[in-house]
Amino acid sequence: MIEINNLVKCYGNKKAVNGISFTVNDDEVLGFLGPNGAGKSTTMNIITGYLSSTSGTVKVNGHDILEEPELAKKDIGYLPELPPLYNDMVVLEYLDFICDLKGIKKSERKEHLARIVSMVKITSVADRLIGNLSKGYKQRVGIAQALVGNPSILILDEPTVGLDPNQIIEIRKLIKTLAKSHSVIISSHILSEIQEIADRVVIINNGKVAAVDTITDLSKRLSGSSRLLLSFKGPLKEVSEKIHGLPGVVDVRTRVSNGDIHELEVTLVTNSVTDLRAGIFFVMSKGGWPILELRSLDPSLEEVFLSITSAV
Amino acid sequence: MYAIFKREFLSFFRSPVGYVAIAIFSFLSGFIFYSQFANGKVNIASEIISLRSFFVVIVPIITMGLFAEDKKRGTEVLYYTAPVNLFSVVAGKFLAACALFGVMFINVFIHMIVTALCGGVIGIGAWGSVIVFFFMAMMFIAIGLFASVITDSQIISAIFSFILILIIQLISTIATYIGSAFTATFSFFGINSEKAASIGDAVTSGINWLDPFAKTSDFRFGVFSVSALLYCLTVSLVFLYITFRILEKKRWSQG
Repeated sequence: MIEINNLVKCYGNKKAVNGISFTVNDDEVLGFLGPNGAGKSTTMNIITGYLSSTSGTVKVNGHDILEEPELAKKDIGYLPELPPLYNDMVVLEYLDFICDLKGIKKSERKEHLARIVSMVKITSVADRLIGNLSKGYKQRVGIAQALVGNPSILILDEPTVGLDPNQIIEIRKLIKTLAKSHSVIISSHILSEIQEIADRVVIINNGKVAAVDTITDLSKRLSGSSRLLLSFKGPLKEVSEKIHGLPGVVDVRTRVSNGDIHELEVTLVTNSVTDLRAGIFFVMSKGGWPILELRSLDPSLEEVFLSITSAV
Repeated sequence: MYAIFKREFLSFFRSPVGYVAIAIFSFLSGFIFYSQFANGKVNIASEIISLRSFFVVIVPIITMGLFAEDKKRGTEVLYYTAPVNLFSVVAGKFLAACALFGVMFINVFIHMIVTALCGGVIGIGAWGSVIVFFFMAMMFIAIGLFASVITDSQIISAIFSFILILIIQLISTIATYIGSAFTATFSFFGINSEKAASIGDAVTSGINWLDPFAKTSDFRFGVFSVSALLYCLTVSLVFLYITFRILEKKRWSQG
């Protein structure tokens, strides 16, 4: 369990983190969401003891990170944004070095490493040079490094950034397995990723907590406003007017217009219960204008922020 | 500390650094020894003393990456987030570089054995020079480590330690220049020339007091001085401590 209380970190006049407080419960996956530069990495660096806070406290299983750093750090496994790997070392040799650093007894080491290596599935590359591994495997070795010493808390800073889709899915699977026996804090700026993995979400913006919410509550907030994308062949002006006339439509905006093929973005009333797609279909079919595409637009992270910050 | 020592020491041999340093040292020591040997007058003490003037090249090669590389690779996070004391990190890296010097120095021991086998004499002065060599190496390595911790570029670190070591090697020349500059300045402002000269001399000898080479110059004749060794040791510890504080500062930095 981690208790974070009123954390502040100043860089000169700028407050990178400005009064962040939240708790992470045991065996919970907490998503840490925010745009680039919001203070995600800084907060994680403070929790792990890499940086000190200007004021505020971090308690890891009851131990203050600054007052009892060695006890607190034993419970934390950290994977920074850039995995701390030595490219000139072989995987097993590297993990052995991490065991040395974390003070794992020689007698327990072999078994401990064997378990970690099979858990993160790097057995096949265990005796290869880290510098020659693919990015996905490097990330796994980074996670293995965090798992050394059986910490009860894992802190993963953007673990899927820069990976290809297959690797992303694999890493997510791995994190889900790990979440069964660890508390996990995972940061990302990809909303869907957090939605898939996390139980609870902390959203930060400009160094402040904008929202702390469970995934279901967050989705409810998001479903409030919705937009549709309509791509069709036909007269732009007439269709726009007709669709604007439908009940529940707030705004119709032209996105792309290319010859007689047009793309419209239709904004619907917040909390609208009626499904407008059927209505749009009948309007179009009546006019004999073929629909090329009709889909709902996923809310982007920016919109989540807008909706959340305006609601607070 | 042992973990860091082991990793750093072995990493010298995973990259060209260790081999380059050993090759340079072997070449230089071999060359000096051979030229003495060919003349039939081997003096191990003077071989070691000549080798000392190459610290300025060898030390930066060894120390430039010690911290700079960690910063660049992001591996320094490991030291900050593992339950280890940062001073043991500094000490581990320092000892690894010292150990590499030990490996390089095997050359000189081989020369000593060859000399002894050929009926030459390894006097107390030679052993004195060995002691001085290692104490000075420690001092320069500590300085190199300091140069490595202040930047994340190996090149800048190497240049910086090169300059620092060069200043120390040329300190007696520099002292003379600064002393005469003081004399000139004071006589320019109308202080009588005798007084001005004595001020200049005082400045020169003040700076000269810092010269580790002068302090240890009698070791080659078998005259040992504890204070000279203490001086080298103190300078090493001061630079190691500064290095440690700079590492610590990073955590607390608000800049």
